[in-house]
Amino acid sequence: MLVRRRMRLPWIAATCMAWVALAVLACAAGPALFHISAAATNVADAYAAPSAAHWLGTDALGRDELARLLVGGRITLSVGAVAALVAMVIGTVYGATAGYYGGWLDTLLMRVVDVFLSVPTLFLLLFLAAMFHGNLVTLMIVIGATSWLGPARLVRGEVLTLKERLYVEAARSLGAGDGRIIFRHLVPNAAGTIITTTTFMVASAMLAETALSYLGIGVRAPMPSWGNLLSGAQSDIFAGAYWLILPPGLAILTTVCSFNFIGDWLRERQERALADP
Amino acid sequence: MSTFIARRLLWSIPTLLGVTMLTFLLIHIAPGGPALALAGQRATPAQIAAVTHALGLDRPLYVQYARWLGALLHGNLGFSYVQQSPVALLVAQRLPQTLLLMGSALLASVLLAVPLGVYQAYRRNTAFDRVASVFVFLSWSMPTFWFGTILIAIFAVTLRWFPVGGLQTIDTTAFDWPTRIAHLVMPAATLAIVSVAGWSRYIRGSMIEQLREDYTRTAVAKGLSTRRVLFRHTLRNALIPFITLLGATVPALFGGAIITEQIFAYPGMGQLFWQSAIDRDYPTLLGMTVLTGALVVLGNLFADVMYAVVDPRVRYD
Repeated sequence: MLVRRRMRLPWIAATCMAWVALAVLACAAGPALFHISAAATNVADAYAAPSAAHWLGTDALGRDELARLLVGGRITLSVGAVAALVAMVIGTVYGATAGYYGGWLDTLLMRVVDVFLSVPTLFLLLFLAAMFHGNLVTLMIVIGATSWLGPARLVRGEVLTLKERLYVEAARSLGAGDGRIIFRHLVPNAAGTIITTTTFMVASAMLAETALSYLGIGVRAPMPSWGNLLSGAQSDIFAGAYWLILPPGLAILTTVCSFNFIGDWLRERQERALADP
Repeated sequence: MSTFIARRLLWSIPTLLGVTMLTFLLIHIAPGGPALALAGQRATPAQIAAVTHALGLDRPLYVQYARWLGALLHGNLGFSYVQQSPVALLVAQRLPQTLLLMGSALLASVLLAVPLGVYQAYRRNTAFDRVASVFVFLSWSMPTFWFGTILIAIFAVTLRWFPVGGLQTIDTTAFDWPTRIAHLVMPAATLAIVSVAGWSRYIRGSMIEQLREDYTRTAVAKGLSTRRVLFRHTLRNALIPFITLLGATVPALFGGAIITEQIFAYPGMGQLFWQSAIDRDYPTLLGMTVLTGALVVLGNLFADVMYAVVDPRVRYD
């Protein structure tokens, strides 16, 4: 077909994109606009049920749950984005190197991936997070550094087929070096795979933050994150504050699910474009 | 076939050696170190130095690695300074519990995911498929511990069908089977939820692909019942790639067990690993990682062999 058929945006993918955009916007701008500070405590008002003053109620220290949810979203969304970015950069460089050079280097690099894959990711994550506990930046790096294996394999596979294309030969005959071919030609052409995988990575990095916060080695209190708001709410149930469990849980669930749906749609779109160019 | 298995077994040796090196290096680049953990936060530098020397931690790294690997080859997984017990014993007490949990979760996942995936593929793009897909994505995106907490709130606290958790002691032989199974239902369901989601999605995709194949059309054209076409023809072919996926799920199940065992106070490997990570109990972490690595490598090997057994087109020599 000469004219590229326009892909319809299914309503579910559109809704998910809108939701992610809304969540990012609310968490980015919300805390500045919202009239209650996330850090303001008021013990007299502890465990207040949702009301006109506190839309989502208050926690054990009387802090406003909505304000904390907005600030926590900043943390969780940034952990998701930065960790996904770290994973993708490592995975892309690693996978593209293995796929491009091939031979013994490829075998060696992929054996190393096999080694990493033999250790449960959560073992590594727990291990590293317990070692370098306490700092938000290290948390992002640790999550990213334990999730590059999948992306590395995907990018390698993509580069293996792309490197046989004529434009690579053309670039080489014009005198382009290996680095230029990999990063100016191969990686941009693998962008579809990379973007799709990044979307899934954001989702899994957010879940990793939640899991680590539950295990007590994620984002440290008093800094709120969706993960530690949710794990903290587990014990608040016993104090009768059952309303605290829903907002962070639903925030994580809907946002992670949206990223997964968007990723799934992107992948399907890509597969269809390949099958029917 | 036996040459293939032998070759695969040989190939797994470098992988396992890699696992030991990776773990060993990770532990030794970590700040703090076991001596500090053992001597306590208030220890004087001299005390720490004494402990370091007593444990042989002042020897060069390759010497420590060689000693540890040599002991490992003699079946010695190491000695936990924190728990004052051989690692092998600690693991042996808990591994059966975790394997039981993982096995139940695996079984539940297959029993739920396969029929769901098949039916979704058969009814693809209908309202049922869409609704089921949304639920699959939701359970895929749910923090595991949240799901576990909801189960506790509903089935343990409100309905009182199952115990909240806590098999109290590691020596579960003290409990009879009905008690053990009652303690197993909710943890297994929690551990299974993610794989049910992932697998049913996979089966659905793989079934849709197979339903487009010519042999399916032939089977339908010669008048076979839908059930027979679905289960005797397409599902058999759709399950072949699924075997590899099953093998690859083993590490995820071990990881998931950490969270699940934490929620339900289930005395297994996951709990031991978490405790050891918090205590910086390096020999235990090291021993468990190597053992898990070995189980994962074996799981993948088994999946590869099964793949060859199930699919006669696959020839490995």
